Amino acid sequence: MNATAALAGACNGARWLTQALEAEGVDVLFGYPGGTIMPFYDALVDSKLKHILVRHEQGAALAANGYARASGRVGVCVATSGPGASNLVTGIADAMLDSVPMVCITGQVATHLMGTDAFQELDVFGLTLPIVKHSYIVRSVGDLPRVVRDAFRIAREGRPGPVLIDLPKDVQVADAAHLPAHVPASVDPLPSPPQAALAEALAAIAGAEKPVIYGGGGIGLANAVEAFRSFVDNTGIPTVLTLRGLGALPGGHPHYLGMLGMHGTRAANMAVQESDLLIVVGARFDDRATGKLAEFAPFARVIHLDADAYEISKLRTANIALPGDVGDGLRALSGARSTCDGWRQRCRMLNDKFGFRYDAPGTDIYAPALLKRMTELAPDDAIVACDVGQHQMWVAQHCRFSHPRNHLTSGALGTMGFGLPAAMGAQFACPERTVLLVSGDGSFMMNVQELVTIARCRLPVKIVLLDNSSLGMVRQWQELFFAKRYSEIDLSDNPDFAALAQVFGIPARRIDLRSEVEGALAELLARPGPALLHVAIDIKANVWPLVPPNTANGTMLDRNPDEVEPEAHPMAHEASPRLESTHALPA
Amino acid sequence: MRYRLDLVLSPSEGALTRVIGMVERRGFTPHSIVGSPAVDDGHWRLQLVVDGVRPPETLRLQMLKLYDCVSVEINEVDVAEMEVMS
Repeated sequence: MNATAALAGACNGARWLTQALEAEGVDVLFGYPGGTIMPFYDALVDSKLKHILVRHEQGAALAANGYARASGRVGVCVATSGPGASNLVTGIADAMLDSVPMVCITGQVATHLMGTDAFQELDVFGLTLPIVKHSYIVRSVGDLPRVVRDAFRIAREGRPGPVLIDLPKDVQVADAAHLPAHVPASVDPLPSPPQAALAEALAAIAGAEKPVIYGGGGIGLANAVEAFRSFVDNTGIPTVLTLRGLGALPGGHPHYLGMLGMHGTRAANMAVQESDLLIVVGARFDDRATGKLAEFAPFARVIHLDADAYEISKLRTANIALPGDVGDGLRALSGARSTCDGWRQRCRMLNDKFGFRYDAPGTDIYAPALLKRMTELAPDDAIVACDVGQHQMWVAQHCRFSHPRNHLTSGALGTMGFGLPAAMGAQFACPERTVLLVSGDGSFMMNVQELVTIARCRLPVKIVLLDNSSLGMVRQWQELFFAKRYSEIDLSDNPDFAALAQVFGIPARRIDLRSEVEGALAELLARPGPALLHVAIDIKANVWPLVPPNTANGTMLDRNPDEVEPEAHPMAHEASPRLESTHALPA
Repeated sequence: MRYRLDLVLSPSEGALTRVIGMVERRGFTPHSIVGSPAVDDGHWRLQLVVDGVRPPETLRLQMLKLYDCVSVEINEVDVAEMEVMS
């Protein structure tokens, strides 16, 4: 038997692992080969698994991340030891902070070399301890069945997250003929929230005069969107959503007031600040949502429903704690009676009064209007991925999402470079659906290499690149909070993005005028394959409204005031008296 | 405030690092640590004394999220009494 035949026939650890991944239902995995993971790549030759060769390991981790976000299935990425493993780190951290189920497989030097500073040896297990839900070093091939079974179960169960499997090379080539075939582990459902607390919550809702539902990413993660919508419809309680909760209610829903927080709507923030009862569903009082925590919803009692008991009373004490299955909790609360007609009318008035306007003067392209039009033209179930910065907030404010899984945004980590690989992963997860990427000129360059993966796989991702020739969000903060002392935000030497895309074989065009938007969007969406629309926008455009950092959400800017106290000033936590306070508005 | 954590851990690679890392990451400072394997069930018993001003219940719940942590009890420690004893 020659060497090749021996390799092909041997049931070693690597081959056992590819078969286990198939048994787990993995169809696509994203990765990049290298020295210590070569036995696994050899086993892939005989596997049914579809491996997508990215051009940077961060692209692999973020593509698996996007795949998991869009589908709800476990995303899988693979890298070699050393730099391959360390390049995965940002994508793993992003998954941890946004509760995305992933299994990340890294090659490792052989066990007898571990701890000797061998070539491409890196303690990725230690490096990733704070950013994984759990992790393993497989030191014996006999441990593989337990590790793989537990890794997928842990990634999925409860609050999802990433799990790392570090796989030394000698374990990959060890004889695995004696190992049993892989059987996926079942995931136990979370218990329902406690009955007594549910009864207390029903009474609190019935007694509230100004209740508000504050929904977050935990709704989509718990597959509880339908239960959430029924709860909102049955109770008629005004509802706000976090960035990661967007899509839990469809845009235009009569009880929906928009996103809350730093770039939330006035109606959402004002309603929360005035409320006497907050019903928090799968959200965690993130600082970007609450503004100055001590002044957040100052008159409200709190009912907190979450899959993760740790999140309850972490930052804001819950008067009624409902740990457990979010869907079960919502169904139990759907019979609640809420008689708050006057409050509903007030919230509707706020919504009507402070809705977004799209009639900006001039002929420059107005990004909010373009994004609004983009999702109007796209199919209802289109997936929109974005990067991080001003465009990310415009997407959140002006695009419509029919489900939380249709909005891919790096919420907690705020990972520039997230969008392109995440869109790629989403398109693999949902090949029949329209996947749009909205990116900015700063973020786009952080993983631009994945254009070649999109071109190679002929993925029909549609890219809208908003280009203000600067790091727009940093520029906006320097303008508002650092006395216009602009520091390292100039990107006026950007490449010609349309030409760049064309080099990768992706059709592209540039637009500069508002009059070109309608035709260009229609053309972009009609193209059968990948395409890029390069949109030049005004460098001075800012994201409004804005709650200044460390300020109560009742204080919102909708323009650049002449003077705002610099963030670095010791009194920065005090709201500037020149800011408009919505507390002053008549009820 | 000072707290004593009585932990039962599964004897897994990384368990100790995970526990101590979690304590520090969540705003507490380790003061002392004593541990030994249990003879009966193969678990590790670890007693960790930590200082911190954050609510201990949030640390307890966070510890329980670690897959290597079988159980944890947290009790407040009288600092003055502890210093007299030492």
